[in-house]
Amino acid sequence: MDEEILTEEALILNDIRSHLTTFEKERGNLIPILQMIQEKHAYIPREAIKLVAEYLEIPVCEVYGVATFYNQFRFHPPGKYPIKVCLGTACHVRSGDIILENFERKLEIKEGETTPDREFSIERVACVGCCALAPVAIVGETVHGHMAPSKVEGLLLRIRIEKEKQEREKLTISGNN
Amino acid sequence: METIALIIDNKKISCPPGTSILEAAQQNGIKIPTLCYHPDLKPFGACRLCLVEDENTGRLMASCVTPVAPNMSIRTDSPDIKRHRRNIVRLMMAEHPESCIVCNKGNRCQLRAIAAQLGIGETKLYSMPNYKPLEQANEFIVRDLSKCILCGKCIRADHELVVVGAIDYNHRGFISRPATVHEQPLEKSNCIFCGTCVSLCPTGALSPKTEYYVGTPERESRSVCGFCGVGCSVTMGVVGDQIAEVSPSHVRTSVNGSTLCVRGHFPHEFLKAERLTQPLLRKDGEPAPASWEESLEIVSTRILDIRKQYGPQSVAFIGSSECNNEEAYLFQKIARVLVETNNVDNPRAAYTQAVLRRIDEKTNGRCRKNPLARLENGDAVFILNADPGEMNTVASFYLKRGSRKGVSLVMANPVRTELTAFSSAFLEIRPQSEFELIKGIGALLYEEQATENGCASPEMQQRSLFSDTDLDKVCQAAGVNMDSLKQAANVLRGKKVSVVTGDEIMLAENGAETVNALLELMAMTQSLGKEDTGFYVLAKACNETGAYDMGLLPDALPGRQLLSDDSARKHWEDTWKVRLSPDQGLSAVRMIEEAEKGNLKALYILRENPFEILPDPDRVRKALENLDFMVVQDIFPGELTEMADVVLPGAAFFEKGGSFTNMEGRIQVFEPVVSPPGEARQDWEILGHLTAKLGHSEPYDSVEKIKQEIARVIPMYSEDGRTYGDWIR
Repeated sequence: MDEEILTEEALILNDIRSHLTTFEKERGNLIPILQMIQEKHAYIPREAIKLVAEYLEIPVCEVYGVATFYNQFRFHPPGKYPIKVCLGTACHVRSGDIILENFERKLEIKEGETTPDREFSIERVACVGCCALAPVAIVGETVHGHMAPSKVEGLLLRIRIEKEKQEREKLTISGNN
Repeated sequence: METIALIIDNKKISCPPGTSILEAAQQNGIKIPTLCYHPDLKPFGACRLCLVEDENTGRLMASCVTPVAPNMSIRTDSPDIKRHRRNIVRLMMAEHPESCIVCNKGNRCQLRAIAAQLGIGETKLYSMPNYKPLEQANEFIVRDLSKCILCGKCIRADHELVVVGAIDYNHRGFISRPATVHEQPLEKSNCIFCGTCVSLCPTGALSPKTEYYVGTPERESRSVCGFCGVGCSVTMGVVGDQIAEVSPSHVRTSVNGSTLCVRGHFPHEFLKAERLTQPLLRKDGEPAPASWEESLEIVSTRILDIRKQYGPQSVAFIGSSECNNEEAYLFQKIARVLVETNNVDNPRAAYTQAVLRRIDEKTNGRCRKNPLARLENGDAVFILNADPGEMNTVASFYLKRGSRKGVSLVMANPVRTELTAFSSAFLEIRPQSEFELIKGIGALLYEEQATENGCASPEMQQRSLFSDTDLDKVCQAAGVNMDSLKQAANVLRGKKVSVVTGDEIMLAENGAETVNALLELMAMTQSLGKEDTGFYVLAKACNETGAYDMGLLPDALPGRQLLSDDSARKHWEDTWKVRLSPDQGLSAVRMIEEAEKGNLKALYILRENPFEILPDPDRVRKALENLDFMVVQDIFPGELTEMADVVLPGAAFFEKGGSFTNMEGRIQVFEPVVSPPGEARQDWEILGHLTAKLGHSEPYDSVEKIKQEIARVIPMYSEDGRTYGDWIR
């Protein structure tokens, strides 16, 4: 898995390198470049910040400063199961922040980050439009209404079991062949 | 010249266009509080404390970023303005942790000073301190970013003054802070720990890591840093008899401005090291404490005895380029006048001084003053086999700022350095191939000029050094390809060229020719002896230039005059009323050889470590053991002091008065900040006592007296001012 991630990152960086040359070496192109990276790869890898700085010949910390200034840029790849915890007014009132905290604790990552195995990532969102179900969390494509802190662990466990089951099936199929 | 007339606080003022309201007010003695403004940094308008009001329009503006306009009528302290200012400071204080009592910034905190002035004891706001973890893993800087007020001084210092780019604002709003890339600790970033940000920080967010003391030092004194040849002007904070911290002085015309480097800013080890505190005399083979009177008596009688018995050539003096001018002058005077020998040397700076001497000979002394500021504002700089970032960090700031401003840097070095990234052309040359390389670049420029003028002018034809150069051979010898050589020449073409080099060019056999070639290159580009160029020789020790000027050399007299020059010698014979031998004295290496042979009997070593600077320490040790009598005057105990017959404890640079001449040729006077430890004395004082013992009629009882003698008898130093009071501070 680790190796897979590494080769994937190397591919991403190579891709970024090849696309950088389409931009003029101008300071003003910093944000368009960052947007290009984000659009193509859904996040801005650590190494890419250095690449951009070298290409534009500006300090690395300046690139980092600009990138962190805007909410549109992410620094972690999205997980396979992105978890979005709603903290809109209704969810906030029904203690959405405790749900968020529980996810953070169980997955051992902070909001905005991704687990090292890239399975889960956590994000906070403002409102998903089903306030009647508050508090709400969205895992992958599924909306989970009436969330409770105690439901977090079960939810994650279910996904993991599901995944293991799929893998086992895959093995038996390939074994039969 | 066009001026703009306006009114500030009912005072009619006129100033040139482009002046900010803040500057106009300051120039006219009107005080406006600021936190983010600093004269060395570009105005930023972050803190909003300098708000002023235009009475005509009622508009509030940040005065640091608003240029003056005709007919403005500015109020700087109307009730409205004051109310706004109070609110700004209240908001800052509400975010600030309540740690003033234990804060290292103490009374120097500008936020506290302004809050006090505005009378804000309580903010009456909901306190929302933004706690951040204390970052103090590195040895030098403690960052407590919960105290940060986001004035951006550290960031601007980092980008504008030292041009490193280690920090910038991250995120935005409440959580924004000056941060390194990925919020790594400073030691994992490209920070060079120059500490410039620390001395500019208005609050306790950045402070020097010090173990001795927390809070405001009891008093502050000016001095000159003695850790390299730049000679930065520093302010030392003192607690009792201990230096608690060092920061750049507030002298606007100083060589370093608001910057310093890690060595000068955080001299922890130097301050903590064990020191020699009393004279030691060898009794029964063991060094034992003795009185000054007894020690100096023994030094003078033994030296005089040995001279009487074996002649003046049996006594030698090794001085140091870390001695200040007064000590160096007195030391060589003891040797030449009182012991009547030319055996006096300062081996540490031998190569640098050799380069300086070449330049002096070739330019007739017209190239002695090279202000570093020219590196920042010139046309082009050629850096040859030197690493200013390592050796003279503050000089490298000038180069980096210059590069950002559009000065073209061409660098030829055997290795890549920090400055490589700032260079328009970089040539990775083979070691000791400098001469060939200059010839190559010279030839390319010469060719151009010759063809431009139709045919070579008579003046050009004389410059034969570059006229028939085989470029292929040059490339081969220097290990560079033709394209990069041409690129380097292109960058320099048509520009006035300054040269920065170090003593390493003298390591090559044709070192002297290299210096000549550099001078030729400058002459050909009409850059020699001009107002906006210079020939910079990096200096590791603080007084390499001064030691040369003072004649701390076996073959030179004070004032850069040669011993072999009859008229110069006559001048000094008249001045000192003695006979001077025209024969060159022993250099440090020759002293060791003579000691081995047994011809040298007595050696006086002042602030120098021969094991470190002379080749083959074992051989040096054996030679020194062969001496009849050895005096060591130093500040640290070590192998050398253990071997000495007499050890005289001297003073570190901040413990004595005197003057250094820095690599620019700037003479800088300083006073002692603290007294030397224990019974140790200022070095000029020790040498002064010794002159009396050795039979000098007039006593040197103050450093002032030596200074005046120098100013009187050394032409170079009297030109800089009839009295030393005019010497640059």
